[in-house]
Amino acid sequence: MAASDSDDVNLAYDDTADDDYFYLDDTDDDLHPPQASDSLDDDQLQGSDSRNGDDDDLLQSSDRHDEGDHDCDDNDDGDENALEEDDQDSPISGQNFSVLTEADIRHRIKDNIAEVSSVLSISKNEASSLLLHYNWSVNNIFDSWFADEKAAREKAGLFLEPLIESPDHGSSICVICFEDYPCDGTKSTSCGHRYCNDCWSSYIKTAIADGPQSLLLTCPHPSCRAAVGEDMVGLFASEKEKNKYFSYIVMSYIESKKMIKWCPGPGCENAIDFVAGSENLDVSCLCSHSFCWNCTQDAHRPVDCETVTKWMSKNSSESGNVNYILAFTKPCPKCKRPIEKNMGCSHMTCRAPCLYEFCWLCLGDWNNHGTCNRFKGNPEEEKREKAKQYVIKYTHYFERWATNQNSMKKGAADLQKVQTEQIEVLSRIQAQPLAQISFVTEAWKQIIECRRVLAWTYAYGFYLPEECEAKRNLFEYLQGQAESGLERLHDCAEKELQSYLKDKISVEGFIEFRKKLTLLTRVTRNYFDNLVAALQNGLSDVNSGSSSVSKKRKSNWAAAAVNAAPALDTNINDNSATAPAAAASAMEPWACAYCSYENQSSATNCAMCGRGSWTCDVCTYANPRTSATCAMCTEAPEP
Amino acid sequence: MIDFARVQKELQECSREKDSSGIRVSPKSDNLARLTGIIPGPLGTPYEGGSFEIDITFADGYPFEPPKMKFVTKVWHPNISSQSGAICLDILKDQWSPALTLKTALLSVQALLSAPEPDDPQDAVVAQQYLREYQTFVGTARYWTESFAKASSLGVEEKVQRLVEMGFPDGLVRSTLEVVGGDENLALEKLLSS
Repeated sequence: MAASDSDDVNLAYDDTADDDYFYLDDTDDDLHPPQASDSLDDDQLQGSDSRNGDDDDLLQSSDRHDEGDHDCDDNDDGDENALEEDDQDSPISGQNFSVLTEADIRHRIKDNIAEVSSVLSISKNEASSLLLHYNWSVNNIFDSWFADEKAAREKAGLFLEPLIESPDHGSSICVICFEDYPCDGTKSTSCGHRYCNDCWSSYIKTAIADGPQSLLLTCPHPSCRAAVGEDMVGLFASEKEKNKYFSYIVMSYIESKKMIKWCPGPGCENAIDFVAGSENLDVSCLCSHSFCWNCTQDAHRPVDCETVTKWMSKNSSESGNVNYILAFTKPCPKCKRPIEKNMGCSHMTCRAPCLYEFCWLCLGDWNNHGTCNRFKGNPEEEKREKAKQYVIKYTHYFERWATNQNSMKKGAADLQKVQTEQIEVLSRIQAQPLAQISFVTEAWKQIIECRRVLAWTYAYGFYLPEECEAKRNLFEYLQGQAESGLERLHDCAEKELQSYLKDKISVEGFIEFRKKLTLLTRVTRNYFDNLVAALQNGLSDVNSGSSSVSKKRKSNWAAAAVNAAPALDTNINDNSATAPAAAASAMEPWACAYCSYENQSSATNCAMCGRGSWTCDVCTYANPRTSATCAMCTEAPEP
Repeated sequence: MIDFARVQKELQECSREKDSSGIRVSPKSDNLARLTGIIPGPLGTPYEGGSFEIDITFADGYPFEPPKMKFVTKVWHPNISSQSGAICLDILKDQWSPALTLKTALLSVQALLSAPEPDDPQDAVVAQQYLREYQTFVGTARYWTESFAKASSLGVEEKVQRLVEMGFPDGLVRSTLEVVGGDENLALEKLLSS
């Protein structure tokens, strides 16, 4: 990048290494006065070769839209506009967001600066000072500027006239280091207070080292509010400091936008621009980190943010201890808090505020305690059992939540492996173009997403009230089906794939495999989407009844599932009248097609292996006995 | 890097103007990184007549980082710690500018003595007293000035001694002296009339 006239020195915003800041030509080492810098700045926006430095460029620069490949018209509030060019390939979520890389952000900032600069006919430097002082709201700048330009200028520390006469010849004393300098050894910003170049340099470096408040740096003169902006930073800071200053600008931009947040993924420098009003709060970054837009915790559909917080704090306070607690403690019979016996006698007193006194051995009330050496069926035992159940229940849900979380992480690692190695191997061995193999990565992305959802359904389950038995049953049924469906997909993607990685079996065989995996992926996606929707609306289908005419297929699906749920077996006869194959013999014992277990007539799923009684020909889903049509793909079974 | 050339020039400036400003700055040793400043208590305040010693150390980036200042002389003031002498003054923190100097900073400290800001206190006890019992505050501040910031402040014990010898109890003598700002005659009048 030489200091030549090459046309697009500053257009290299994709090149994060060189183009550190937003408008300055960093190859230009001249200490050009601010007013002259205008001509340098705007040429870049033309994207043309017309770098002749005429100041009129400023006014012509409005056709900047043809430059670059990003949408440039997202001025201040344009952050709702998704960048349609940024094609998202997130597996599940719709286009409720877009990912902004550092280059995208920088580009938006440049656009903001260019817009303000061209509309107000001011330099880029002044425009960026205004934006920093007006929290990046272009509209606010325009409103204030056109209402009272002087006040707006004052707020941003941009003076039209120098506050003091500064001699343009002879020498002057720098009031920081008290040395005498010839005029060209000193510099001032718009206010006219001159300091020597060395002192400027130290001043700006110290400010940048101090942090982002350096974005609002003012003239060193104690009462002067003149802005020290990008032009001065460009002149006096080192590359490293300019980078830092640049990152402050990016930070300030992102933090000023309500609908943009940094991706919390480790080491990730992208930001997520969320589409206002989207229902789906889960977003996933290019770094493959998925998180909830609202709480920035890891993505947690279908559970809401509150439950997640509750669950996570419960985990952090208990997870490491659960096993220990189960093994070595007894729950207080009154408040259920786990108690460890650390003193010799059996007289226990629970901690405040409970303060319940009881016998360690029989857990009976100490006040009425005589002896408890005699064996008898103990009513207190029941209480104790209940408390213990609570802890066991938590352990149950936690273990499954954690296992699925781990599976998800493992899945992400596997996906990495698939993308970097297996895809190519597969393409070579099976002699298929890469495009024909993308179904494998799709499957893995689906697996990861499903593991995540499945993990959170356990948090959901833990907080689902015990009283709503119908809901519980439906929930558990849906969850069970989801789990086995996912296992099938996972198994297929993990194990069956292996054989195709080794050698070429047959083209037909591979096509068959592709068909199967693609179908499984789709079916599992549908199932999980429906599951999420059903859980998010609080399993309301249970109450609304199975006959309600539903708006979407979703509800049909849920209704079918309700019918299939074991708790609602009363419907069996009505349904089975229309259900072919399996239902024809609804009242007779039946043998499981998978494990050959002889089931009771009333069982809808195999009591042994948990699978349904008939397999859908289209999607291979194992349906419960009572379903007339496939609960997954709604296809009717072949007669 | 401390700009010692500038420190040297500042010292020269201070010594040139010490008669008009009353502010004196001198190096603690031959090392210019630590200085001692002395400011006179402003007229018309409880600090009048005292001369206050301030310890000045330079941070590494001086003059781009503010100098560190604290009172060595004990002083009773809402924005100065009565324990440590730490000063709560914006220009010694985030409002510092390299265009300020030791002289201007010390003048600001002096101005702070004249115009306390009890709403932004360094010493909560003093600030409370300033807001609630202003007269007591003035008395205490004057007593502290008498006791700690005056060359003659050694005389306090002698005053106590003399009044105790007149038959007043030690504790009462001290509190009365404190209330009247250390003036022996006023204290005696007060003791006699009570």
